[in-house]
Amino acid sequence: MQIIGPDLLVFGVDDVPACHEFLSAYGLDCADYTPEKGGTYLALDGTGLVIRPRNDPSLPLALKTGTTLRLQVLGVVDAAALDAVEAELSRDRQVLRLADGSLRTQDDQGFELAFRVTTRKPLDMPGEKVNAPYAPARPANALGVTQDMPAKPRTLSHVVLFVPDIDGAVGFYRDRLGFRITDTLTGAGPFLRPQANPDHHTHFFIRTPPYMQGIEHLAFHLGGPTELMLAGSRMMEQGYESFWGPGRHKFGSNWFWYFKSPLACNVEFDADMDTHDDDWAPREAPMGPEASQAFLMQWRAKWAPGGGPGGPKG
Amino acid sequence: MSPGTDDPPLCRLDDLAQGEARGFDVPGLRAKVIVVRRGDTVRGWRDLCPHYAGGTPMAWKRDAYLNGARTHLACHAHGAWFDIDTGVCVQGPCLGKRLTRVPLKIDDKGGIHPERPPRGRET
Repeated sequence: MQIIGPDLLVFGVDDVPACHEFLSAYGLDCADYTPEKGGTYLALDGTGLVIRPRNDPSLPLALKTGTTLRLQVLGVVDAAALDAVEAELSRDRQVLRLADGSLRTQDDQGFELAFRVTTRKPLDMPGEKVNAPYAPARPANALGVTQDMPAKPRTLSHVVLFVPDIDGAVGFYRDRLGFRITDTLTGAGPFLRPQANPDHHTHFFIRTPPYMQGIEHLAFHLGGPTELMLAGSRMMEQGYESFWGPGRHKFGSNWFWYFKSPLACNVEFDADMDTHDDDWAPREAPMGPEASQAFLMQWRAKWAPGGGPGGPKG
Repeated sequence: MSPGTDDPPLCRLDDLAQGEARGFDVPGLRAKVIVVRRGDTVRGWRDLCPHYAGGTPMAWKRDAYLNGARTHLACHAHGAWFDIDTGVCVQGPCLGKRLTRVPLKIDDKGGIHPERPPRGRET
């Protein structure tokens, strides 16, 4: 099943202007915002988020838990892939073919799903280059960092869901849609990679009681760890609040920095995730601080040491 | 040191608009104290969502503790809503749990203070 991953995540939120402020600061671009209707917030490759007021009648019905995530739009590689999804899922559920050619259905736990031929535009942008001893990646005179360098989300990376039935979620995404399990945090759940995307995960599931079913966080990829550190620091300097990070996860190797948001879920900056193919042997580790990160740091305001006593304060 | 009315107040009642919430650092406490104005009185809560053991701070931006309709305190990590008067979680991952109350007093000049000093220094 040639699925790439989430093209769009659609939210029904409590405070549209707050989401607009937050997502603009986070670095997504929005051309159609109104306080009454919300808007579409895009990363550089055209993947992104749709924000609507939670009582917007155009939205799919909310889960009983009140989660703000109302729809995941998954991109597939081509029309044949879309037909394959339709044929597979039509075996045991209603799959609607909408006027725009996309499919609409639900997964086994009631999360609303759409599938479409992806509209993401591949980027022609270099990733971060690191100079190591005897192995420089940047040419002479090329700078590693400047204070005002761009640090914008490049593509929607992954969505993490609280789900009451992990076996049901795996049964649907792995056995019906062909996702691969890359690794598992025992006690939480599996990381999943769709077949047409080498990223370590586009989905991760965390086992919870039924009343918590919903979105836990979403993440966009940045161009590298320096962009991630800059983007997060700019958020901190503007008064936004970190939830977790910066740090680097073990499973996936991705750098992370999570921020609380008015979307009622965490919104993460992510960079330098591992990629895999079907030769990969999945790992397993018990969920907890040790397995969750290689290292974890905490932001502080800029400071510098000086010469003698009585130097700069900070 | 006991925080009497000689200590500087967290803020003054007049500094807070009706229904406004704001977070204040209190010496000795590792998390802020959220002060919410309700009429001519105030409610005080620790800025610690009970979803995870030990609690985590709740605002999405400095002082952004309320939901859109300004009817509840909200944790913006995973969307928990709390009753402003009772601290009880009414929606979200910590359903049924509650925030930790910080009793507050208002001095004769309108200054808002914690009623009791923190017990020891939190780490």
